[in-house]
Amino acid sequence: MKEVIVQPEKCVGCMQCMVACATAHSQTKQLYTAILETPLPKPRIHVGAGVFNEGFPNRCRHCDPAPCMQACLGGAIFRDTATGTVLIDPDRCINCASCAMACPYGVIRFHEDCVAPPGKVVAVKCDNCDQRQSQGVVPACVEVCKTGALIFDEMTDAMKEKTNAVARSVSSGAETYPVSPVFALFKASKKAQLAVQ
Amino acid sequence: MKYSIIGNGIAGVCAAETIRQLDRAAEITLIGDETFPPYSRPMISHVLDGSLSSEKLPIRSSRFYDDLKIIPVLGSRVSAIDVDRRVLTTTDRKETTYDKLLIATGADARPVVAKGVDLKNIFYMRTEAHIRSIIECLPTAETALVLGGGLVGFKAAHGLLKRGLKVTMLITSGYPLSMQVDETAGQMILAELLKSGLTVRVGTSVMAFEGKGKVKRARLSDDSTLSCDMVIVGKGVSPSLAFVPKEKIKIDHGILVDHHLQTTIPDVFAAGDVAEAVDITRKRRWINAIWPEAAAQGCVAGANMAGRHVVYPGSVSRNVMRVMALDVMTLGLVNPPDDFGYKVMAHADRRRGRYRKLVFRDNVLVGAMLINDIDQGGILLSLIQNEIPLKIPDRVLMDPSFNFGKLIA
Repeated sequence: MKEVIVQPEKCVGCMQCMVACATAHSQTKQLYTAILETPLPKPRIHVGAGVFNEGFPNRCRHCDPAPCMQACLGGAIFRDTATGTVLIDPDRCINCASCAMACPYGVIRFHEDCVAPPGKVVAVKCDNCDQRQSQGVVPACVEVCKTGALIFDEMTDAMKEKTNAVARSVSSGAETYPVSPVFALFKASKKAQLAVQ
Repeated sequence: MKYSIIGNGIAGVCAAETIRQLDRAAEITLIGDETFPPYSRPMISHVLDGSLSSEKLPIRSSRFYDDLKIIPVLGSRVSAIDVDRRVLTTTDRKETTYDKLLIATGADARPVVAKGVDLKNIFYMRTEAHIRSIIECLPTAETALVLGGGLVGFKAAHGLLKRGLKVTMLITSGYPLSMQVDETAGQMILAELLKSGLTVRVGTSVMAFEGKGKVKRARLSDDSTLSCDMVIVGKGVSPSLAFVPKEKIKIDHGILVDHHLQTTIPDVFAAGDVAEAVDITRKRRWINAIWPEAAAQGCVAGANMAGRHVVYPGSVSRNVMRVMALDVMTLGLVNPPDDFGYKVMAHADRRRGRYRKLVFRDNVLVGAMLINDIDQGGILLSLIQNEIPLKIPDRVLMDPSFNFGKLIA
């Protein structure tokens, strides 16, 4: 089964995934109308500033066992056994923030949402775009990512590719750039910016 | 293998589930005082404030016992344990034998010490049954007194306020949540409480309750009186272990357990609010009577009972609550002892209602308190629980923009 795989070293912090995510979780699914909706759709993927203020795409890992699920006071967090996705039932959620206290990655937010009862603030996080996936469409964040920081792949294949890249980089006659030099340049410029500040 | 579990709270339920997962043939008996299906204790305050009906409290299906083939013995309390013969006696004098035993009886509300506590309409707020009796009393009450400025006091005051009562909160210490927060945060929270229409009196406690049959007045430590139609007591909890044979099973405040959550008697385990394990940040024995630790301990105890060797790393005190417009999260050691070796960083932005405090010991985060901006609190908890030495400047953790990416160099 394919899943969203994050390669933070390739993130340039453009935040297009956030916009796409919010749009995908809106009522109208179109950016131009989504921004006029109430409640305003919000992203479930969060690009934070990394060590050198480079982008860091942060989304739910759908841990197993999931600390948020164990901590949920109302039994609102559950796992879809078919896909392994950890989901939050907005009707059961009591907005207690126990999940935020348990999440070691800090990916849960609290706000109104179009799938929640109107006016109710609930815990919201990545649902692996289960709706899109059921229609055979890849998750929205992957669809818009231009740099390959977010890919949709079999975990075993992605792991193999990473292992091969590491092997190549330490072999004699290795390719010099397993990752495009643009990323190294980008990181260097971010570091320089930070140093100047 | 015959397993007996005393207590059908979250620790007992988690233990039963874990045992069933690991041992399909096990005979599991669960003895519970409460007849209500396994439910979420922390959620009872939502029933009080009217936002939830009590049918929404259960956290397991009504078929829970059948599905897991657990023999429920509900509505009865254990009165004695014979650890030599491995026999339990319940209050109705029935005997049950066991091979492995888990004591997960939790804790009871600590009684208030004052004259006239036997008067009617003085309540505790610990169980679903307590809430039911409080709600029954509501139509006859106009003014209420809440004792204790801790979490239960908060939730009780908030609920009664939402039900339209005039509520006075009585706090013995100088500011609310004194066990969880420091004075700066305490004052911010106090201001927020007053804004909500609550009357709060700090540094005061109750000496006596007065009234004919029902409570009508409270006489306070400053010699004043306060009229009230009902009282909710939230003065903390103490482990329920009256039935434990103290000459056999070693007890401090709670039942002493090792890192497998086994008591001093082999094959007798304890988990949840009744068990006294080690606190990771305090580096000593401590009871953190909180829901997530009870759940975690239940799982670990269940696994060990079923023959796996799982280590419980220790507990970390923590709480998160929403006080009107303030989100308050406390993790680990928020008020370190006046001792060498602690580094405290704190920044308050009262205008925005923000406060952030971090406590370090030898480059390891041991405590944190956040008022608002609590989204990333789980990362801090993870740093505390796993005692991870910081490789980044500690000021990075103080920044509200702190996120997981900052930890990956």
